[in-house]
Amino acid sequence: MAADQGLETDIITADVRVRNELGLHARPAAKLAQTAQRFEADIVLAVNEQEVDAKSILDVLTLAAPGGSSLCIRASGVDARQAVDSLLDMFRNRFGEDK
Amino acid sequence: MSKHVLTGIAVSTGIAIGKAFFMNRRLYGHIPRQSIALDLVDSERKRLETSLAQAAQELESVRDKVPPELREHATIIDSHLTMLRDPKLLNAAAAYIESMHINAEWALLKAVRDMEKVFSAIDDPYIRDRIQDVRLVADRVQSKLMGLATGIRAIEGRVILMAHDLAPSDTAGLDVSKIMAFTTTQGGKTSHTGIMARSLQIPAIVGVGDLEKKVDDGQFVIIDAIQGRIIVDPDEEEITRYTELKEGFEDYQSAIIKNCHLPAETIDGYRVKILANIELFDEVAAVVDHGGEGIGLYRTEFSYMNREALPTEDELVDEYRDLASIMAPQKVVFRTLDLGSDKKTLQIADLEESNPALGLRSIRFCLQNQEIFKTQLRAVLRASVVGDCALMYPMISGLKELRQANRILAQCRLELKREGKEFNPDLPVGIMIELPSAVMIAELLAREVDFFSIGTNDLIQYSLGIDRTNVHVSYLYQPLHPAVVRSIKHVVDAAHRAGIEVSLCGEVASDPFCVPILLGMQVDSLSMNPHAIPGIKRIIRQTTMDECNELLRQVVGSRTVTKINRLVRDTIFRRFPDELAFYSSMLDVDEV
Repeated sequence: MAADQGLETDIITADVRVRNELGLHARPAAKLAQTAQRFEADIVLAVNEQEVDAKSILDVLTLAAPGGSSLCIRASGVDARQAVDSLLDMFRNRFGEDK
Repeated sequence: MSKHVLTGIAVSTGIAIGKAFFMNRRLYGHIPRQSIALDLVDSERKRLETSLAQAAQELESVRDKVPPELREHATIIDSHLTMLRDPKLLNAAAAYIESMHINAEWALLKAVRDMEKVFSAIDDPYIRDRIQDVRLVADRVQSKLMGLATGIRAIEGRVILMAHDLAPSDTAGLDVSKIMAFTTTQGGKTSHTGIMARSLQIPAIVGVGDLEKKVDDGQFVIIDAIQGRIIVDPDEEEITRYTELKEGFEDYQSAIIKNCHLPAETIDGYRVKILANIELFDEVAAVVDHGGEGIGLYRTEFSYMNREALPTEDELVDEYRDLASIMAPQKVVFRTLDLGSDKKTLQIADLEESNPALGLRSIRFCLQNQEIFKTQLRAVLRASVVGDCALMYPMISGLKELRQANRILAQCRLELKREGKEFNPDLPVGIMIELPSAVMIAELLAREVDFFSIGTNDLIQYSLGIDRTNVHVSYLYQPLHPAVVRSIKHVVDAAHRAGIEVSLCGEVASDPFCVPILLGMQVDSLSMNPHAIPGIKRIIRQTTMDECNELLRQVVGSRTVTKINRLVRDTIFRRFPDELAFYSSMLDVDEV
C-alpha cells in the first residue's frame, strides 16, 4: 500500500451509498465539492454511465443522486488515496447532516 | 438617454439634484449583448475571471459578518461561494467568449441558460430548484461585470441612491452623509424606506416602476420628492428652476420646524389638536420633534408582522405602556388590528379572496379570531393605567359589530378583574368611520361610543368605489367629491350633536388644500404623518375661521368635483402663493 503512494498514475476507486435521506442536495453537494477541491487529484463521481467532476458543485447537484443510491468515486493523481478516504468518511457521516 | 421624467410616490419630502448611484438592481431581462474584437477575447475572459473573484470576495465578507444565531444563513452563503468558484460556470462562460466573441455578460447569461436546461431535467424538485441559487450567484457576478453593486463604501462624493428595493439590512450600514436622496423601484406609501428617509430627513421617492430601465448609473437626475417626479438628464433651465425651489424649500422647512411647537390656532382663536399617525414605536421621536400633540392613530399591526409566533399579551403590554408613558400626558389612540388578506402576518392563513378590500379583514377578522383579538384588548386595557390611552375599532359597519366588539372587551375587563390584574376600567372606546354604512348611521353609532375618527382613505375608496392603486381608475379618487365632503360633514355634525369628539385621520388631514374645509366643519383634531405637522400647523395659524367657513359654504354649495377643486385651488393658492410650491395635493388641480 505504502509503495503505491506518490505514483502519478495511481487510480483509486470506491463504491459508496448515499446515506442522506434527501440525497446529495445542496448542503452535502457543497461540502463534497469543497472537500474535493482540497486535493490535487482528479476526482469523478459515476452513476451508471454518467460521470461528473466531484469538484464542481453544479456537477454534483445535477447528478441528483437520491438517498439510498450507489455511486462510484474514482480519483487519480498524487493524493488520490487521501481524497477517496476523505470523501468516503463524508458519505459515511452523512456530510454532517442529521438524516 | 435624453431628458425624460419618471414618476413615483414621494414618501419623504424634499428636492435633490445630483448623480444617480445604483446600490442594487434586479438584472433579469436587460443584459446587453455585444460582439467583441478578436484581439479583445483574452481581456474579456480576464474581466470575467476578475468579476467572479470580486463577487466571491464580496460574498466572503458578507458571510463573515453573519451573526452566530444565523448560522443557517452562513451555510447558504457557503454553498453560493462554492458555486462561484465552480470551474464549470467559469469555463462554460469563457468558452462562449472564445467561440462566439461575445461580451462576458452575455456569455455568462448563456452559461446560466445551459445550466437551467440541465437542472430542469432533474426529477427531484428540491435539487431542481437549486437553479435559483445559480441565478443568484450569476446575478452577483453580472453586477460586478456591469459595475453596479459597488458597495456603499465606494461612493465618491454625495449621490442619489437608487435601488431595486432597500431592506433595513441594506440601509443599516449606509453612510447617510453621502446620500442626497433615495429612490427605489419597489415600495409604497408605508414602506420602510419612507419611514427611514423621513427620520433622516432625506428626500425619497419609491415605487418608480421603470427606474432600473430608464436611469443609468452615474446619470444626472433631479429628485422632486414634493411632486414625486424624477427628471433624468435635465436641461439647464430645469436645473436652475429646481435649484431655486430646493433653496426655497429648505428655508421654508427650517422656518416651519422652528415654530412647530406653537398651537394650531387660527388668527381668530379657533384651536384644533394636531395628532400623529404612526406605525412604528420609533416614530415617537418624530412626533415629539415635529410638534405633535398626541398619537391619533397607532397602527398596531407591525408587532404582528414578520415574526414566527404571535406576540404575547405581556409583550404587547410592554410596548403599549412604553408608548403611553412616553407620550403622557398626551393622548395615544390604539387602533385594534387592521389585518386582512392585503396585510398579512405569518400566522394568518392565505385566504383566496377575489376581493380582499371587501373581504375578511380588520374588525371582521378580529371578531372571527377572538383569541387574537382578546390578547390585544387585554393588553390595551392593562397598558392604559399609564398616560392617556384610548381604544379604537376599525372598519365598523354597524351597531352589531360595535356591540359584539364591546362585549368581548367587557369579557376582558371581567377576566382581568378576576385575575387581579391592574387595568383602566374607563378606557375611552371609539370607532373609525370609514364605510359609507357607518356614515349613514353616524347618529346611532355616536350614542354608543366615546369618539369618532374618520378614516378618509378608506372612506373615499368605499364611497366612490375606487381602488386608488388601480391606475385605470385612480383619476376618480377625488377627496373633495361632493359625496365625500357631505359624508365628512354629516359625521362631524352627528358627533357634535351627540357631544363626542371627532378626529380625522387619512391623507386629507395633511393636505393643505383640504385642511381649511375641515376647519370650517369644526373637526376637533387632525391626525397625520408626523412630518406633515409643522406645515399644516403653519397654514392653520395663518387662516381665520371666517374664511374657512366661507370656503366650506361655497364647497357645500357646489355640485361637481371639478367646480369644488377649482374653487379650492383658486382660494388656497391665492392665500398661500409661496408655501404651496412645497406641497403636493391629492386634488386633481390641473383638471379643466
